[in-house]
Amino acid sequence: MTDTPTPALRVDPGGRIGVSMTVNGTAISTDVEVRRTLADVLRDDLDLTGTHVGCEHGVCGACTVAVDGQPVRACLLLAVQVDGTEITTIEGLANPDGSLGPLQQAFHDAHGFQCAFCAPGVLITTASLLETNPTPTRDEIKAELSGNLCRCTGYHSIIESVETAVRLTAAGAKSTDGGDEEASNA
Amino acid sequence: MRESLAGSFVGTSVKRVEDERLLTGAGSYIGDLKVEGMAHAAFLRSPYAHATIERINAAAAQRLPGVIDIITGEEMQAITNPFVPLGMIDGLYTPLFWPLAIDRVRMVGDPIAIVIAESRYIAEDAIQLIEVDYEPLPTVANMAEATRAGAEQIWPRADGNVMFRTEADYGDVDAVFASADRVISETFESHRHSNQPMETRGSLAEVTPDEVIFHSAAQNSHGLRWVLAMATSSEPVLDSVKELAGPGRDKLKAFGAGAKAFITERKDDLGDADNKGFIHQVRHDPTTLKHLGKVFMNVLAQDERRRPRVVADDIGGAFGVKGHPGREDAALLAAALKLNRSIKWIEDRNEHLTVGGMAREETLSVQVAVNDDGELLGLKVDMTMDQGAYPAVPFGAATFAGIMRVMMPGTYRFKAYSMKAAAIASNKAKYVAYRGPWANETWVRERMLDVVARELGLSPTELRLRNMYGVDELPTKMLTGPTLDVRMSAKATLEKAIEVAGIDDFRAAQAKARENGHLLGIGFSTYHEGAPGPPDYADAILPGSGAMMAEPLTTVLEADGTVSVITAQMPHGQSHETTLAQVAADQLGVAMDQVRVIFGDTAKTDFSLLGTGGSRGGPMGGGATLFAARGLRDRILDEAADMLEANRGDLEITDGAIHVAGVPSISKSFAEVAEVVRTRPGSTEPLTGSVEYDGGPGGWVQATHVAFVDIDIETGFVTIPRYVVVEDCGELINPAIVEGQVRGGVAQGVGAVFYEKSAYDDDANFQAGTFMDYLIPTAMEIPDIEIHHLETPSDIEANFRGVGEGGMIGSPAALTNAVEDALAHLGVRITEQHLPPTRILELAGVIAPA
Ligand code: FES
Ligand code: FES
Repeated sequence: MTDTPTPALRVDPGGRIGVSMTVNGTAISTDVEVRRTLADVLRDDLDLTGTHVGCEHGVCGACTVAVDGQPVRACLLLAVQVDGTEITTIEGLANPDGSLGPLQQAFHDAHGFQCAFCAPGVLITTASLLETNPTPTRDEIKAELSGNLCRCTGYHSIIESVETAVRLTAAGAKSTDGGDEEASNA
Repeated sequence: MRESLAGSFVGTSVKRVEDERLLTGAGSYIGDLKVEGMAHAAFLRSPYAHATIERINAAAAQRLPGVIDIITGEEMQAITNPFVPLGMIDGLYTPLFWPLAIDRVRMVGDPIAIVIAESRYIAEDAIQLIEVDYEPLPTVANMAEATRAGAEQIWPRADGNVMFRTEADYGDVDAVFASADRVISETFESHRHSNQPMETRGSLAEVTPDEVIFHSAAQNSHGLRWVLAMATSSEPVLDSVKELAGPGRDKLKAFGAGAKAFITERKDDLGDADNKGFIHQVRHDPTTLKHLGKVFMNVLAQDERRRPRVVADDIGGAFGVKGHPGREDAALLAAALKLNRSIKWIEDRNEHLTVGGMAREETLSVQVAVNDDGELLGLKVDMTMDQGAYPAVPFGAATFAGIMRVMMPGTYRFKAYSMKAAAIASNKAKYVAYRGPWANETWVRERMLDVVARELGLSPTELRLRNMYGVDELPTKMLTGPTLDVRMSAKATLEKAIEVAGIDDFRAAQAKARENGHLLGIGFSTYHEGAPGPPDYADAILPGSGAMMAEPLTTVLEADGTVSVITAQMPHGQSHETTLAQVAADQLGVAMDQVRVIFGDTAKTDFSLLGTGGSRGGPMGGGATLFAARGLRDRILDEAADMLEANRGDLEITDGAIHVAGVPSISKSFAEVAEVVRTRPGSTEPLTGSVEYDGGPGGWVQATHVAFVDIDIETGFVTIPRYVVVEDCGELINPAIVEGQVRGGVAQGVGAVFYEKSAYDDDANFQAGTFMDYLIPTAMEIPDIEIHHLETPSDIEANFRGVGEGGMIGSPAALTNAVEDALAHLGVRITEQHLPPTRILELAGVIAPA
């Protein structure tokens, strides 16, 4: 996990580069050391500690954030690689007043997590999934979440939470159409 | 509207209080903490399994800009004490060792130096610059090697590499074995695997002018506090003696009085304790006495400001591993005290996989004496455990061997039983507690019962039903001592499991599937678990230990009318903030949001040796909350009776309003009561209710697991089309939380059997240092787990039993039994716990064994 200077790099790895990005809707410009990962910059420089680091080698998925809508592993990206992008983290899924956003509410309703260390990655992955596929099947949910390790739950409650979110979203859509909200409120 | 004692929260799946912060990213895990002037630490670790350290040159590293200090073994030895053995057990020798390796490394990952730098990146750069010359030594990679004549000895004062030996007999073993129609023998092997919470270990030693705060992801903050105080109080002992004889006299007196009170209170329970463990230890290493004396004097004389206050906040899982103070923790605190600077260390995953802690590497030879009709008569078990190089602090393999000894016969009517156990040292990482650390008693017994059934031509369920204590035989005692009370319902869980499993339909499907190259199997396992166990349980494991098991808890009426529940429990995913609040709210007749659970801070919580572990959260934490909250309720009602000029007995509490029954219009709120108490002349102490809860009648949690497997004989891949758990954990506080615990435990069992292995090669080089080598099951591998609750009716109050560990206790047996059932027609007998696809193919004869 130690970074040793690589001659091929055109910049001094200890050197700094300016990076501009939009994080959870806020425009940010900052100078970062070239070798720093996006996860470390989010957590340490921007104090967005909701994104977690579980393995630092791209397997556990706890560090997943959305970069231009795509779930990516923030431990495998250097911060300098995300210049000019829009980033969403778990904090960005909450309501503006800090209360549970709709997806977080679904995970609350269905007892989704235990220690919740995996939560940032699971929530961001789920948000990205539901954006492209608002009504996934159980098997699709499992396949999509297979890149996010959770050691506590055995995944059952996580999958149920995603299904709850799907139902709530459908109910929400229906109610804006003038449908009956109660009926599908699981 | 609710009645005060209607029990309206307990028993319902109240949504979690924790979620508001944890689901929005506002949690406070150890890695998230930052304090003023904080430096960062990283450890240089041994690449060798066994070697002497010839020379360390840290000069270049020390010169790197941003490096603050580098401490190596010898300097660390000078500023710390060795970890003195605390859990001394007869037959156990615990070697003394320091936070860092000094002149010899004993495992891959052994910490050699701690580097403190302005950033973690710089600390890791510096590690690359430290030169170490090693002289490799022969290695001990496994149990066979450890006990081979002429094997390299890892600890010079041990008997070879044997660190622990014990033996116990119950009943007339020889006579019972002689009387049996036959004796069936088998040897089982369980592999090293590990907890691997998604958050690794980590700590932050915060040094302030007034105190040292040790923030840590710790399951037991008080235990960690005292272990750290002992490890880092390294002043010359003479200074301490002078202090205690002079200015610090009161400390000595206070300690003496405290110790006397502790012993007097527990005189009956402590009566059975003996000092054989102490004698055994001192015989092996007389310097133990010197170190114990020094540590004891220094800690007593210690300036309070240098004794850490331990604070634990949100924890990203632990499953036992964070109940063991780490050598890294002691090194970190010693460095912070030396530099007078705050330092943080967060373990990385490679470190956690390599040295964080591993479990369950055990070989068990089992003999069962049985009659041809299936009557079980006798049981003999000979177990060897591989505890790795350094023993876990404060206790490890030997303690768990004691639980295994007691639990091994399960709930079956054996007439005689003997167990021998030994723990050996190897050049591998430490053996730690992992979710049901004694679980191999269930695995081996339930696996062996299937072997016996098959040999006798009986079905596995028939054999179990015939020999298990039924409710009509209760209460009775286990052969090993503990009482099986009338709520012990293991057999009921088995009967229910047989009913829901649909065995006949399964057998038909099994026959049909074989035609398509799919081998189906079904496996049962039944266990009971002492969570908390009956009152005679702890002493059966270790005489005198029952006295240490009480759970302290305090409830406080705060000035604003809310109630604080202050617990020594240390939640790390189990949702205590919700469940304990449910229990307290019901007792007090208030809403959930009027109760706040406080934990983790040794400056706020009552002393407990145990913290969270042993599935104690529900039974001990829940029970303690119930009785403490009831005490507080009594005091609140006393005050309110005066205020309302009413009869105390006529009062009730409805949704936080205290009023005379039937007259809700005239009431006092909790805040008004608190105000009266707070402003009373002469006394400003808030109302409290406190207990040291001993668990009351306690009791067992019991379950039967049924696993269904489907083996693809082309690939060796095993899927689990169905998994059933039938359990009785008494009264459920929060069903959704209970089910989450059960499912999470089963998932870890699935991982253990089919995926996970902390693999070493023959030279004790670690082979599984990433999540690409150590495979944690994903959402694709874990089946839907069907749960059925049973509850034996009882009027016992706080009839809660623990569910944290059970899922993992029952699942390896059910899964391996199912695999054998699937392969039995090929003549396969499963004797190992780890069954990855290649092993399945080998067993099935598809490929040749490696
Ligand atoms: S921390 Fe990035 S995948 Fe594990
Ligand atoms: S809830 Fe603990 S890792 Fe997922």
